[in-house]
Amino acid sequence: METWLRTWAILWKDILIEVRTKGTFNAMAFFAALVLFIFSFAIGPDAALLRRLGAGLLWIAITFTGLLALARTYHSEEMAGGLEALLLYPGEPRAIFLGKLVGNLVVLLLVEAILYPVAAVLFHVDLGGHFLSTAGVAILGTFGFSVVGTFYSALTLHLRAREVMLPLLVLPLLVPVLLGAVSATAALLTPETAGGLGGWIRLLVAFDILYFVVCTWTFPVLLER
Amino acid sequence: MGAGPALRLEGIGKRFGHTWALRDVSMEVAPAELVALVGPNGAGKTTLLRLVGALHRATAGRAEIFGLEIPGDEELVRRESTLLPPHGFLYEQLTGLENLRFARLMAGTKPSREELLDVLARVDLVRAADERVGGYSSGMLKRLSLARLLLRTPPLVLMDEPYASLDADGIDLVDGIIDELRESGRTILLASHRWERAIRDADRLVVMERGRIVWTGTPAAWAERRDAGGALAGTPGPERAGAAGTPGERPATGSGA
Repeated sequence: METWLRTWAILWKDILIEVRTKGTFNAMAFFAALVLFIFSFAIGPDAALLRRLGAGLLWIAITFTGLLALARTYHSEEMAGGLEALLLYPGEPRAIFLGKLVGNLVVLLLVEAILYPVAAVLFHVDLGGHFLSTAGVAILGTFGFSVVGTFYSALTLHLRAREVMLPLLVLPLLVPVLLGAVSATAALLTPETAGGLGGWIRLLVAFDILYFVVCTWTFPVLLER
Repeated sequence: MGAGPALRLEGIGKRFGHTWALRDVSMEVAPAELVALVGPNGAGKTTLLRLVGALHRATAGRAEIFGLEIPGDEELVRRESTLLPPHGFLYEQLTGLENLRFARLMAGTKPSREELLDVLARVDLVRAADERVGGYSSGMLKRLSLARLLLRTPPLVLMDEPYASLDADGIDLVDGIIDELRESGRTILLASHRWERAIRDADRLVVMERGRIVWTGTPAAWAERRDAGGALAGTPGPERAGAAGTPGERPATGSGA
């Protein structure tokens, strides 16, 4: 019970701050849409090509945008004086990770709620036919992304070049998640050119579980200075 | 909690990069004792409090808080102690009331608005309860920090510069809170560069300089030393370690209790 209250406290606090500052969400949504537009213009009017590349381009936009969110995961604590701001309160330290993880997940999924329809229009794909399945894949992919990102955001918090280090450390670990998310999304949106949906979803689920267990288990070590 | 000292430090050292913020600090604090850490800026007072509160990890040495060991029992130590930080650790975008609600939730209980307003009333901040903390003055921030401290008062209370930024009423408020904590048997470790306040409050003074304990003794011993002309230049404090002792004074070997 205490762990869930602490998790809720962090989520509530971060969302309240985000709603009041509107800094991250607006910038992320605008940036993500911009990336999609640039890809769309760069590839040109070839509808078949856009359809075929759509899933990959969409997840590139999500990845770039997500990195912006991850870099700000502990921003409110930095402004308040450091991660020690959270250690003042005794209790399960993993709740800090869980609260931050859910916060990143919610923000990213909200951005994706804007991004998917934009991508559907730009890349000529029909979301309506597989709406729930596509949403499920988006949630699985975003969860894995958020788990790794939330963990490494704490790990790189005290590094001097952390803006550079965060993507360098996170992106290699995200390869299986992104591979699964892109391939599963493609299998849903363009089944004529991509397949193996079940296998990709199993890969996503496996890495989500693996990353979640490892990152949650080892997170308390990151809080020690 | 055992029957031993509330706090025992043995050879504590803390290094940030190449700089040692603390070196070979050893001391003991008895249960219900109020010990004031005094010394100039950069003496290591804040670092020591953060190590005792398990917010930082020592580079060397070990600590024991009510029988709980650091390293090892950090999470339990955080339950047995609380810290009044010098700069608040408060969220500017939240209101005063929301900051307290967050603190309460993080401590594992759901607070009511009335309960939080009662605490804010004690520090005379009810009028600013629903204002964002970003607009608070430094004195108001300190009062809000004090309100957060009052939400949870475990056996060991660590206070870092509790008088900083406060006006006369605020200083009286801190004195009242300290008196209250003492009456309820809390052990207090208080860091301050305001000697006159530390002397008023403390059972014992621990003088720090450049990360080391250089003198320890009672306020009376320090006053005798000062009157004898042994004060450090620029401060009303005692001279350095190893000088002739006065009644109640301890040698500056780092052993405090």
